[in-house]
Amino acid sequence: MTRALGLRFGLLMLALVAMAVLPLQLKSYGIYIITLWCVFVIAGMGLNLTVGYAGQISLGQAAFLGIGAYTAALLAKLGVSYLLIVPACASICFVVGLGLGFPALRVQHHYLAFATLGFNMLCFLVFRNEDWLTGGTFGINDIPRPVLFGWRITRAGDFYQLVLLVLVALAVLMALLLRSPWGRAFAALRDNPIRAESVGVNTTFYTLMAFAIGAAFAGVAGALFAPLVGFIEPASFTVTNSLAMLLMVIVGGQGRFFGPAIGAVIVVLLPEWLRFAADWYLAVFGFLIVVMMVWLPGGLLSLPQRLADRGGRR
Amino acid sequence: MTVLLDVREVRKSYGAIKAVDGVSLSVGVGEILGVIGPNGSGKTTLFNTILGQVAPNSGQVLFEGEDITGWPALRLSRRGIGRTFQSLQVFGGLSVRDNLIAAAQEFDGGAGGRLFARPDAGLGGRADEMIARFNLGHVAKREAGRLSYGQQKLVDIAMAFMPRPRLVLLDEPCAGVNPALIEELLGLLQSLNREQGGSFIVIEHNMDFVMRLCRRVVCMAQGAVLAEGTPDEIRSNRAVLEAYLGD
Repeated sequence: MTRALGLRFGLLMLALVAMAVLPLQLKSYGIYIITLWCVFVIAGMGLNLTVGYAGQISLGQAAFLGIGAYTAALLAKLGVSYLLIVPACASICFVVGLGLGFPALRVQHHYLAFATLGFNMLCFLVFRNEDWLTGGTFGINDIPRPVLFGWRITRAGDFYQLVLLVLVALAVLMALLLRSPWGRAFAALRDNPIRAESVGVNTTFYTLMAFAIGAAFAGVAGALFAPLVGFIEPASFTVTNSLAMLLMVIVGGQGRFFGPAIGAVIVVLLPEWLRFAADWYLAVFGFLIVVMMVWLPGGLLSLPQRLADRGGRR
Repeated sequence: MTVLLDVREVRKSYGAIKAVDGVSLSVGVGEILGVIGPNGSGKTTLFNTILGQVAPNSGQVLFEGEDITGWPALRLSRRGIGRTFQSLQVFGGLSVRDNLIAAAQEFDGGAGGRLFARPDAGLGGRADEMIARFNLGHVAKREAGRLSYGQQKLVDIAMAFMPRPRLVLLDEPCAGVNPALIEELLGLLQSLNREQGGSFIVIEHNMDFVMRLCRRVVCMAQGAVLAEGTPDEIRSNRAVLEAYLGD
């Protein structure tokens, strides 16, 4: 292991330990917010695969979060074990994500953006109008916290630890996926699909997988979101939320492993920190986003590269 | 010589314009065939027809006796046909080494196996060999998209040879390349042909390069084959001189 790699690994371990003990320093709302951050990082990691690594575009990630959340809520109400709920949410979203991948085989760029946006709107309408299943605009309430091996995880801090554990496990899986030849094939698809085909990369397969795996991550995030908030309704899964997730990936740095984690700090945590600005906090937030996008279009994680390039030009 | 690629009476028209007008040619195993001709003579359309990007109105393309007419790029690549493009086509966000591995990793086994395969898909050694051969060692870890044009051109060509294809179609490999690199490229292609035994078809406007690299040259004009022969025969062919090479 090189020194730089060792240092990075050490820093990562330190950050994980700090995150694990974070609830000791926070009140329940603070714990709720950082748990929400974890949930959004999971959904963001999936979207980062689709958008950042495979070069597709999706404005439908909130729909998958919703599918996961409603599936989890309904199954939890039926008394299904949480150990089955999570894989069920991931599997359903994987299959639906596979379906959403098909338009990407025919159209790209803004056309694909609108196709996925339409999918999100369609899901929103199902969540809102199919009262018999989803509770319509009233949503589903009293979603129970998970019971694992006979232990009902009711305390906010305990639930946070569970979500953090899932986040770390999924991050390891994502890292392994990206390090495997699949990761290289996704990048080839993103950088140059024509050349990718000419060197044997099955672009159809990898496009579908990018959507399906990205959706499965959002499905797991949804399965954690439902018991976190305890009440879900269609408004949580609109196109606006999909845009927020896309913003998260882009602000953090698309195609960079920690991009969604940094992006979720900006999208989930920053508005909370800006509450001192009272009624102006969203305006300040919007202004900061504009500044960041203009100054750092490659996302916050492109900052070291940008500084190095600037240093190199001098 | 055993025939590897056999193009038979291929025709392609766009309205009244006959882009390729009954072209037949063949390439033997281990042979390097040059295709020359003025702009608009149908070289690229012929290339695109062989590579399945353009459906011919009539005619056939046979590879090792098998009809491959209209096969998509993916199928052709898996059949052992590689190509380079007129413009640079690298994976800009990947390192040079990863570009080379990406160019060959999909040829063995299934997708499921690759998911659990070693990160370099067992191709690290071959990629390093290719990097050394193309003198890219000093930039092997750098993103291909950040390299100079000439370096990217070398990466582009090295990628085509990574899967050890039986036939490589090179579309203007010298375009935009400086004279020193052209010499390097010539040496590299000659050594690859000698050592890997693959066959090449080269479209090129640089006559010196074509005449030194190819053993046989086809000259096209107005969609048809104007002349075919050894470089010396082509150089002295009156019709070729009038239509393309000039005095």
